[in-house]
Amino acid sequence: MKKALKLLAVIVLFGATHTFAQDTSSLKIVIEPDPIVIEVGTEQQLKASLVNEGGETLPDTILFYSRNGGDLEVSREGYVKANKPGAYSVLAMRSGPREQRVTRQFNIEVPYPPIAEVQFKNVPENIYSKTTLDLHVDVIDEMDLIRENPDLTITSDNQSVAMVSHGKLMALKPGKVKITAESEGKKATLDLSIKNNPASSMVIENSETNIRTGDVITLNAKAMSGNGRVVDVPITYSFIAQPEDNLGQGAEGQISQEGKFVANKPGIFTLAARSGDAIAEQIIRVKDRNAAQDVEMVGHGEVLDVHTSDLWIWEGVDGRDYAITGTWGANGDTYFWDVTDPSNIVSIDTVRVDARTVNDVKISEDGTIGVITREGASDRKNGMVVLDVSNPRDVKILSEYNEGLTGGVHNAFIYEDHVYAVNNGRRYDIINIEDPENPYTVGRFELDTPGHSIHDVWIEDGIAYSSNWSDGVVAVDIGSQDSELADAGGSPENPVMLGSYSYPSGRNHAAFPFKSESTGDFYVIAGDESFPYGLPTRSNPVAAAGWIHFVKFDGWDQPKEVARYQVPEAGTHNFWVVGDLLFVAYYNAGLRIVDISGELMGNLYDQGREIAKFEPTHPDAIVPNAPFTWGPQPYKGHIFISDWNSGLWAIKLVDRPEQGTN
Amino acid sequence: MIIKRALWTLVVGGILLFGISDSYAQDYYAYVAAESEDQVHLIHFNGETGKGTIAETIDVGTWPQENEGPHGVTVSADGKYWFVTIAHGMPYGQLWKYSTETNEAVDSVELGMFPASMDYNPSTGMVYVVNFNLHGDMEPSTLSVVDSETMMRLADIPVGIMPHGTRVGPSGDVAYHVSMMTDELYEIDARKLEVKRTLKLGEGGSMDHSKIDHENTDMDHSPVEKPTWADPHPTKPLVYVAGNGSNEIIEIDTEKWKITRRFDTAKGPYNLEVSHDGKLLVVTYKGEGAVGIWDLEKGEELAYIENSRKVTHGVAITPDNNYAFISVEGIGGEPGSVEIIDLQKLERVDVVETGKQAGGIVFWKQN
Repeated sequence: MKKALKLLAVIVLFGATHTFAQDTSSLKIVIEPDPIVIEVGTEQQLKASLVNEGGETLPDTILFYSRNGGDLEVSREGYVKANKPGAYSVLAMRSGPREQRVTRQFNIEVPYPPIAEVQFKNVPENIYSKTTLDLHVDVIDEMDLIRENPDLTITSDNQSVAMVSHGKLMALKPGKVKITAESEGKKATLDLSIKNNPASSMVIENSETNIRTGDVITLNAKAMSGNGRVVDVPITYSFIAQPEDNLGQGAEGQISQEGKFVANKPGIFTLAARSGDAIAEQIIRVKDRNAAQDVEMVGHGEVLDVHTSDLWIWEGVDGRDYAITGTWGANGDTYFWDVTDPSNIVSIDTVRVDARTVNDVKISEDGTIGVITREGASDRKNGMVVLDVSNPRDVKILSEYNEGLTGGVHNAFIYEDHVYAVNNGRRYDIINIEDPENPYTVGRFELDTPGHSIHDVWIEDGIAYSSNWSDGVVAVDIGSQDSELADAGGSPENPVMLGSYSYPSGRNHAAFPFKSESTGDFYVIAGDESFPYGLPTRSNPVAAAGWIHFVKFDGWDQPKEVARYQVPEAGTHNFWVVGDLLFVAYYNAGLRIVDISGELMGNLYDQGREIAKFEPTHPDAIVPNAPFTWGPQPYKGHIFISDWNSGLWAIKLVDRPEQGTN
Repeated sequence: MIIKRALWTLVVGGILLFGISDSYAQDYYAYVAAESEDQVHLIHFNGETGKGTIAETIDVGTWPQENEGPHGVTVSADGKYWFVTIAHGMPYGQLWKYSTETNEAVDSVELGMFPASMDYNPSTGMVYVVNFNLHGDMEPSTLSVVDSETMMRLADIPVGIMPHGTRVGPSGDVAYHVSMMTDELYEIDARKLEVKRTLKLGEGGSMDHSKIDHENTDMDHSPVEKPTWADPHPTKPLVYVAGNGSNEIIEIDTEKWKITRRFDTAKGPYNLEVSHDGKLLVVTYKGEGAVGIWDLEKGEELAYIENSRKVTHGVAITPDNNYAFISVEGIGGEPGSVEIIDLQKLERVDVVETGKQAGGIVFWKQN
């Protein structure tokens, strides 16, 4: 009986709900004022009412929700504080079961403050006739903020002397001219006196007129006055190409306005330097770089049932050569291989830890200690595992260390008895392993930028180069003594940031320092990781994206991105440099070997600098017949690579046979 | 007389309607996340044959070279959408919304560090997601609230360290979760989106922080209960909490805001759910690879059922209270599983193997 009564109550309740529920389609939330325009820096109370079809206001509580954070603060009761100009969306809701819920999304406009001032910036002292320069204008509002993308017009009052086009000033002849920049009624005026261009002749001092594709030459053009003296006037550089293959090919080369030229294609190029009426030309013959070599597949350590992650090759204490490879999304295995004979790669031991991914594997310089990283532990306590690899046929676990590392270690590097472990994608922890059975944390390095995230760390000469996605490459002194650039007195206990470089895509995944053997220039090579085309699966081995960025450092505070290596429709992962050779694991494009000798400029892929490629595939691979190359390591004349789909490979570069002639 | 007869008809009709829907329910569907496979499975269980299968597998995440870790799953009240939290990002995780009709992604929003368990509030249409942030330094985290229609992230409510196991109360006015590293139960105002009350789960219950001399105490602040889940009773003002560290179930009276009962359990109670009739409590024992079924009135464990593998995770009870779907993670490369327990017979009736590390699980529908 009691149960029946309860059931009755439930049924009546259900009935009542349905009987008395308002038809919400006839209800609407009215917000006052409407429209809502709030001056920045001011506050306002909004009013919300629930109104039925007949215009009757119902006694319901409407709450406000906003995701605009501190830019537009909105309390649940509708009290608004506008802190930053913009257009914002806010939600008002009469909550309740879905059939009773009424919501309204409405906009609040916080207008930009009026423009207070327009300023010309960086105007050169002398502007010469028959030269062109960029006009820089700041538009500043009443909150003293520089307006981005302002509505700006720039005009000349004497177009026979100087014209303005697309933000550039074209000085035509000597004379007075007034240049006016205007935005929302505010103006700035430049009274210019265009001077006669003193250059009467031009000299190109470059003497390299026979070059290869990819070679960078500097024109060293000098403008001379009538009396033979060098004059400081703007010089414009350009070229005319006459390529050997003129069958509709793409760009033949590029020239910078610093006077540097690089050719992508062989042919005859006419380089020009001009200022005013002074012009000089130089004819350059460009030959094919002829960098290409063949690759010979030497050996394959098959891993066809699970994905393979990183690799490391080393000479063991017994003088033989060994490899370690990790596994990804599997059962926590790490494989050890004898690679002394690269044509006969032999599996010699397996270490299993509580993990699903062993993403990174590293071996100490003396070949006795290994570190593997753990992700996907069953107890969610990830971290790293320290191994005794002095006998790679019988590897022993010395310690498991997860102090503060439970989020998972994705990458690690061993340097001078310390492990630099990328911790949970936020920072790297520095762990002393002098006693490998008892590791302990001695330091850490973490950026303080909003939403920072780190992927990788690599160390050379006491400097840690980390890759930090949108924060780019960061160099940190952890004990540098003979730094290519300046030291900062850092140590493992006190890592000190030296410099950084970020780029707009925010895809920085790996970094490798490189001092050019041929030029002495110091670069940090930054690599992307990007998957804009979806997930690769067994039935859909799709492409990755991204490229290699060459960032030249003339000082830790003077980075400049000068070149790239970009294979179309593929994406980079890990890479390695030996001498002036770059080895790039280019995921779906396999391994690429690139000549990075000499000065670098432009896209090296277009310049014939690619020496060779190798696409590891196997019909029985976990993704059949599809390369997905993870990492390379050049070692004792061979190149070892790990491929996500098929395991460990050894290849070597061989010269191309001479072509016979008739 | 007419009213009385109509009322009787209403009662009988209602009973018949309820009875029919129970007797004829044969097909049960649940979503389960395979955290180390970056997949979500739709599980179908045939009540007539007692056999379960994977009806569909949905790849989730966007980053093939990282395990992104789908963790929590929930379904909108109308059954049209399911939601999954993706734990790992750069660095923040996300909440993704999928159509149950097509199992294709509809929308997503970025949340905090390691968004984990969550619940859908039929009363507000909002999804309440704890940002578990179980890694690295122990620091207070947040509970993110997302409007499920617009996928607008409406609030990030500051809460305790390692919040987990959030469930909305039956009225929709409040949501509960626990803070694993501060041994606390949190009650969230589900409309104003602010913390309403907290309760220390140690012996003695509600702790008055104002009376603690924080400067002069050698009190050990290491968590003891390490609570991992909270589930409110469907009809009574009670909340049940899994004391993962203390091996107990803790019952809290939400009117008195006091602990009323503690039940000693097997090792590592992790997730729990009260049956929809409020009679049973199904508890996963993560540390033993088993499930306990408790009679709530008596406070007695009616059955202890071992799982087919280790690391038991989540539980979802069918609306007719006939079955409990249990997710079991497994270890390393072994598959996870969903294990179906007959709550009448108190025995396991089937095991469906899934991708690695089956974790978050939610019931979708029964036909």
